[in-house]
Amino acid sequence: MILPALIAIGVVIGYPIVRAIQLSTTEFNPLAGADPTPVGTANFEQLVDDPIFWEALRNTAIYTFGSVAIAAIIGAMVALLVENLSGRARVVKTLLLTPWAVPFVVVAFLFRYMFDAQSGVINALLMDLNITDQPVDWLVSSTWALPTVVAANVWAQTPFFVLVFGAALAAVPNEVIESARVDSTRGLAMARHIKLPYMRNAALIASLLMVVANFNDFGKIWAMTEGGPGYATTTLVVWVYRLAFTSFELGYASAVGVIWLVLLLLFAIAYARMLRRGS
Amino acid sequence: MAVAVSERSAPAARPAPRARRQRGGRAARNVGIAVALFFALAPIYWMLSTSFKPELEATQSDPSLLPNEYTMGNYQSLFNGAMPFGSFVVNSVITAAAAALISLVLSAFGGYALSKGNFRLREPMSFLILLTRMLPLVVLLGPLYLLLLNANLINTMLGLIIGYISFAVPFGVWLMKGFFDGVPKEVIEAARVDGYPRWQILLRVALPLTIPGLLTTATFIFIDVWNNIIYPLALINTIENQVLPSGLMLSFTGQFKTNWGGMMAASVLTSIPLLIAFFAIQRSMVRGLTAGAVAGE
Amino acid sequence: MAKISLRDVEKSYGSELVLRDCNLDIDDHEFVVLVGPSGSGKTTLLRIIAGLEPVSGGDVYFDDVCVNNIDVGDRDIAMVFQNYGLYPHKSVYENMAFGLRRRKISKSEIDERVRQAGELLGIGDLLRRRPKQLSGGQRQRVALGRAIVRDPSAFLLDEPLSNLDAHLRVQMRAEILKVHKTVTATAVYVTHDQVEALTMGDRIVVMRDGMIQQVGTPDHLYDYPANRFVAGFIGTPAMGFLRCSVRRSADGDTELVSPGVQIPLPRERAAAIPADVDTVEVGVRPERLYLDQTAARSGTLSGTVEMVEQLGSEYYVHVNIDDAVITARTSRDQRVEIEESVKLTTDGAYAHLFDVETGAAYA
Repeated sequence: MILPALIAIGVVIGYPIVRAIQLSTTEFNPLAGADPTPVGTANFEQLVDDPIFWEALRNTAIYTFGSVAIAAIIGAMVALLVENLSGRARVVKTLLLTPWAVPFVVVAFLFRYMFDAQSGVINALLMDLNITDQPVDWLVSSTWALPTVVAANVWAQTPFFVLVFGAALAAVPNEVIESARVDSTRGLAMARHIKLPYMRNAALIASLLMVVANFNDFGKIWAMTEGGPGYATTTLVVWVYRLAFTSFELGYASAVGVIWLVLLLLFAIAYARMLRRGS
Repeated sequence: MAVAVSERSAPAARPAPRARRQRGGRAARNVGIAVALFFALAPIYWMLSTSFKPELEATQSDPSLLPNEYTMGNYQSLFNGAMPFGSFVVNSVITAAAAALISLVLSAFGGYALSKGNFRLREPMSFLILLTRMLPLVVLLGPLYLLLLNANLINTMLGLIIGYISFAVPFGVWLMKGFFDGVPKEVIEAARVDGYPRWQILLRVALPLTIPGLLTTATFIFIDVWNNIIYPLALINTIENQVLPSGLMLSFTGQFKTNWGGMMAASVLTSIPLLIAFFAIQRSMVRGLTAGAVAGE
Repeated sequence: MAKISLRDVEKSYGSELVLRDCNLDIDDHEFVVLVGPSGSGKTTLLRIIAGLEPVSGGDVYFDDVCVNNIDVGDRDIAMVFQNYGLYPHKSVYENMAFGLRRRKISKSEIDERVRQAGELLGIGDLLRRRPKQLSGGQRQRVALGRAIVRDPSAFLLDEPLSNLDAHLRVQMRAEILKVHKTVTATAVYVTHDQVEALTMGDRIVVMRDGMIQQVGTPDHLYDYPANRFVAGFIGTPAMGFLRCSVRRSADGDTELVSPGVQIPLPRERAAAIPADVDTVEVGVRPERLYLDQTAARSGTLSGTVEMVEQLGSEYYVHVNIDDAVITARTSRDQRVEIEESVKLTTDGAYAHLFDVETGAAYA
């Protein structure tokens, strides 16, 4: 019973990994009909000199860690705000979680519409408030496209942090809160010195999950910008997809994937260390 | 792994001299909550409102808060327009449900083995599963594509389901392990003492005790699959065979790129199943995702 | 209906040896208590007998059959777990019946056995409830009931009373013994509470650091502890210890002496100390120390009162003698104050003597 399940998992996960590593040392266009041609480490050498690689790496870092940092901070604040809501007011908590339940493609559509240069509500608001006198080309500007995509992601992701931090706060032992109150700790001091430390582990786990989710997030970006304009919103995942499924350079795409795998592994190890130290 | 999701009772009234600052604090808190609610819900309101607007009103540069003229046209044209919206829905429901069910069975076995198994590699295996959760899907996509290509499964529901399962199972195993960890060791051992073989203990003791976990895991996988856009884009190559997210994305391009009303109507319909699933499992979801992390046990 | 024997049983987790050299024979129908501080290996030993853990070395025999490779479900044992291990999703009735259904027993017999056990344990009217709806004591009874209905050849109980409050614990102690008398199966009972061990066991096995220290009846363990650890572990309040020199006079008399202490030993006690030993660890039970002066008790110990515990019927007086603290159990008529200098008397015949290095008893 144990073995079959583990073997199934091993095959489903293990095969693609091994194959990806193997493909990364070849040149291969599946549409050309030829078999993969071994090229050694040529793909990796090309990669280092590829400016798009570095741009994608930078975009990935901004998208991944930028979204998580902003969403986590807002999430912690909101969790503290709604912590003591009780009775009927608790419906507020549920409502605050709604964005997380919105499908990615819908998030993308929503932000495409709201940030549209001509008919978007954001530009209308900015112009009504005289912050700008002409429409900003959010998603077609190489400056603003990435921040806009991050904004969409933050909107979709913040509820998750609210949820996790809420659970962490509920798990702070009552006695700790009470003894702090006996010591006349209240308000912000209570939040900072008593509650935040209890949220540390939750913050680590939640951030890890969301960092991984963002690393892998293809749907929101692709449905908003398809990685453009140019490569302005092309993260690694989008780039690999573009390489593999629009220019059909499977070998090169796999090489990017392998590099990425290594980066993720390093991140995971650093993270596991941090978590162990915490507990 | 018990995460206390219960409410702590609100702090009792504090001494009088503080009362004023208290009131100020409470007002600030309520303003904060209002702002948070606005940001969370305004886009959703906007989606609903726009989906009932005629095309001209949806595209005007000075948008109206409520539709000046209500229309169901956007919804109607989804089903009798050029786009095979109906097929998207059917394909999405079939593939997501099948992937969720099959993944659930595999995840239950795997999660049970990792939680209650008694073999030497249990710990490293668990870590490995956690690691595979971090794997970039797109890296796996190339080899998977070739595999399905060789098996003649490109552009088929079955191929897509296999693709979904390959990324859903590690996640499911990890979730189910967390839920099985919540079943006391003694209960399993009691069943062993009572003479039941392992697979019967799983069926008659462990699974009945993790029904909320099973539902949560299935729903989670369903949501994950419903959201996924890269697999159908890569593995399906005709528009009628597409599922909702990829199909919509491919449909609202070119001349339809600014068909905001239609886009929002499709968005509303696509969101509904997910919203229902989400609120159904909201409670046990946190527990599943943060097992062990929050309570620090 | 099983004799249980352990031969050189050993258990290690990785490089950590948690049990070694465990040899033990448990007779049919016997009630044996494994007792020791936490980490002593008592629960591991029980789980090895149950078959929940494999041995790393040595053999386990049930009625002279080696059961090393027989899985727990086939050993014909029943077990009561510390946290009861009740099936939360099954009713009380089903909790008890579950183990029987596996064994091809007719429905009517299952029903009869479950109802009988329910009556015996006073939970007959709770059979339809779920474990969640029961109090701690009731859950305990269900766990016992689940073991009884199986009619096993051995009962294994792992700290079954540790989750109950003090009052209920005393009550359940009696009840478990009553049940044992009724079903007459061999029972192995693990506890960290030496009072529980003394009151319940036909024989007691004292464990420490993965090794069996001593096996014996409660009286035997109390009167003849094999080493300093057993002496200090068994008995409340605990035995006090003093390090004394052995002074042998020319005419064959022997005295234990240290600052403030002088205890003459009867000849037969003195004979137990090897001739080349001149320092010993002396242990005195609190009830063998007296505040009144009687000529018949020639041993004297002088010190200052450090603390007095009042227990209503009696007092425990903790006396500091040259930086060692020993406890005397006194009647409430003999009032002493803290810091007061007192002189205790005792009888050398009741002094326990231990090797200074190894802690082994001289006997």
